[in-house]
Amino acid sequence: MTAELQAVQIKTDGLKTDKMIINMGPQHPSTHGVLRIILTLDGEMVEHAECVVGHLHRGQEWQGQNRTWFQYQALIDRVDYLSGMFTSWAMARSCEILDDVVVPERAEWLRVITSEMNRITSHLLWLGTYLIDLGAMFGFPFYPFRDREKLFDLLEEVAGQRMMFNYIRMGGVQRAPKDDWYKRLEAFTNEFPDRIDEYESIVTENPIFLKRTKGVGLITKAQAKDYGLTGPPLRASGVNFDLRTAKPYSIYDKLKFKVHWLDQDAGDTWDRYILRVREMRESNEIIKQCLEMMPKTGEILGKKQIAGLRVKAGEGFGAVESPRGVLGCYIVSNGSDKAVRFRWRNPSFSNLSILPEMLMGHPLSDIMAMFGSLDIIIPDVDR
Amino acid sequence: MISNSNEIGKFGQISLVWLSIIFGVVWVVCWLVGIALPALLQSSYCEGLGSSAQMISEICKAVVPAVALLVFIPINAMFMVLFERRGLALFTMRRGPCRVGPDGFLQTAADAVKLLFKEDITPRGADIAMFTLAPIIFFAPSVFGGLPLLAAVTNNHELFQITNLPTGIFYILAASSIPTIGIVMGGWASNNKYSLVGGLRSAAQAISYELPLVLSLVTVCVLAQSLDVVKIANQQQGGILNWNILGGGALSGVDKFIAAGIMGHQGDAGTILAQYYPDGVWSILATIVLVASCIMLCGIYLTGACAEINRIPFDLPEAESELVSGYNTEYSGIKFAIFFLAEFTNLFIVSSIAVVMFFGAGDNPIPTWVLNFFWPAFSSAVVTFFTTTAGLSAITSFVQSMHIINPETFFAALWVIAKVYTWVFIAILVRGTLPRFRIDQLMDFGWKRLVPLTLLLFILVVFAREAVVCHG
Repeated sequence: MTAELQAVQIKTDGLKTDKMIINMGPQHPSTHGVLRIILTLDGEMVEHAECVVGHLHRGQEWQGQNRTWFQYQALIDRVDYLSGMFTSWAMARSCEILDDVVVPERAEWLRVITSEMNRITSHLLWLGTYLIDLGAMFGFPFYPFRDREKLFDLLEEVAGQRMMFNYIRMGGVQRAPKDDWYKRLEAFTNEFPDRIDEYESIVTENPIFLKRTKGVGLITKAQAKDYGLTGPPLRASGVNFDLRTAKPYSIYDKLKFKVHWLDQDAGDTWDRYILRVREMRESNEIIKQCLEMMPKTGEILGKKQIAGLRVKAGEGFGAVESPRGVLGCYIVSNGSDKAVRFRWRNPSFSNLSILPEMLMGHPLSDIMAMFGSLDIIIPDVDR
Repeated sequence: MISNSNEIGKFGQISLVWLSIIFGVVWVVCWLVGIALPALLQSSYCEGLGSSAQMISEICKAVVPAVALLVFIPINAMFMVLFERRGLALFTMRRGPCRVGPDGFLQTAADAVKLLFKEDITPRGADIAMFTLAPIIFFAPSVFGGLPLLAAVTNNHELFQITNLPTGIFYILAASSIPTIGIVMGGWASNNKYSLVGGLRSAAQAISYELPLVLSLVTVCVLAQSLDVVKIANQQQGGILNWNILGGGALSGVDKFIAAGIMGHQGDAGTILAQYYPDGVWSILATIVLVASCIMLCGIYLTGACAEINRIPFDLPEAESELVSGYNTEYSGIKFAIFFLAEFTNLFIVSSIAVVMFFGAGDNPIPTWVLNFFWPAFSSAVVTFFTTTAGLSAITSFVQSMHIINPETFFAALWVIAKVYTWVFIAILVRGTLPRFRIDQLMDFGWKRLVPLTLLLFILVVFAREAVVCHG
């Protein structure tokens, strides 16, 4: 408990008080999906918290094992609906590693461009909903959505779908965009930094926002490593780990970009917020570089997409750095058209595990601030 | 950037139309009940009633303020809900309600009808008496608490003088403390832990911000030397320099000085300054202190008022993202409609108090010495136009004989409506921008920052008042 909160704790020796057991139930405006948190409250302070997951379990791994490789590729965008590209990419990567498929270079560039666009949309939505959780629910959230719509229009043109892209396939990408698509994307990247400046001007120095997020939800470096956190929560707590630079995949080693992390012993919610804002700017820069450097012609698909798509027998693991953290896919194949085992390593599941410990001793309002800052998507937790 | 000028135009259009409706309907009702009916009863048509006609007309006149308020509140709420929704949409590049009725005109009426038709659920285990009483206790003080303000905003019209108390502001503040009981009752009686948390938060918040609110208004009363709302409003006549926000009369000496200077009475100018600022340098210092303090006090009042009426950034009791509507959660149908109605009525009342106490209710902000340049010529030209032109003169004399328009009251009421709704708009702007406080931060801010600040300002004002001739 922070010193500030300890000061306001009333001495209750000799006074009979009751603790309230309350459900921050599956149906709640702020749990970003259906998550049940059983809270034991002493007044407003949380004494004990228990997360009950599984309300959104749809059997995604079972689906992977009972649908053909070709069919399953269309379903996995829904595992983490905000970063569908990354889920597709994780599965594609693990299959390519297992099957020794060479992905054409142009396909890799397109993968990086569309995934970084997806990262921006995911962070924009996170920003809007985080402010809603903190109470600014009537003004601010609509502005990030404006930019999301522009990106969705571009992604719809190239992938055919606004959110469930089904774009990154085993061996490459599904479709190549037209020439003027690149120009419009470039126009977007030119005006986007001004947009982020707008958002930052409302939020970053806002006294109420600072009071709600500074010093709240501290995660130490040791805790972050113990609980297996990845993504912005890990980088805010002082660990410089981003899969794109630690174990570079695709063409990330050809790009010059900075991984944002904070060199400190413990990270609070404000740190996680500012990291995501900086990541958005960085993704913008990455897209700009890709647009300059990518080859304009070339193959986009290295493995023929047929209904009877098969992957060589064996085991493989492929991971990508999604907006939430390290998203990995472990597959066991026996050479048939269906997988034997599909195991997802979701960042949200690991990030959620730290929540009960973080919540202890904090008042009810802080739950929203802390939970929102971890950027957890419940379908990603429950699969 | 996407241009929003079309939406702004529509927003202004809706506001003007609805405000005219509000103004017109309330005015017509007041005229009918307060002037037309007694005149009818006392005229030759009703000789048969005899002496009871006198009594009935007296009752009618006495009842006018209550009737005015009861007619005003639903229409005002209808407008304000639409105003808020379209205002928030304006700030967020959306359109807001634009389909029900011409351009969303009848949206609130549709919402009200929908809420009336909803099933009235009482949760199992709820304390039925308290559950039903809570919305009533929450709503009633908005109705009877605003009565002294009616006298102030209509420039002390004879029909509304009955509502004026010598301790007007005290009565209003006392009435504004009662809705908190309604919230706590609603929270407790709902048999829902979330509602309980919301109700308790509201009690803590209301008490914390009651003190700065009351103290800021008390300081204004000290400057005005009166608790009478009408007297405070009358003292602020004469233009923006006389308003309580600019020092509670500390600048009225400046106002008169400039007026004397412009009108050519140079000799008087010196005596005016000596009369209003007798202590030389100390007076100048005191004036600066008073002006700064009053502006800060207005800000403190508005902050405390936002906290009292549970608006963002103080809307913890019904914090949607945390408590799913807090004390409101278990209410449905007409009970919820009453909570909702009361919230908007409270916003209006609180803005009216700000306007009456700080912004010179009904007063034209342009100082008289500016108006004197063009207004007398203009107004006499208008008057001659209306009284000498053939068709209009008959209408004008009819209007005058039936007391349909009292010019002073008319313009005062127009200015009040403009000012009050400006403050309502600013409250909506704040709602669309800021996140909310945490409960301990909110109480920290209230007790550790606002209360000492308000006390300090009070002391400063009391001492500064000795060196400047203010309103009181």
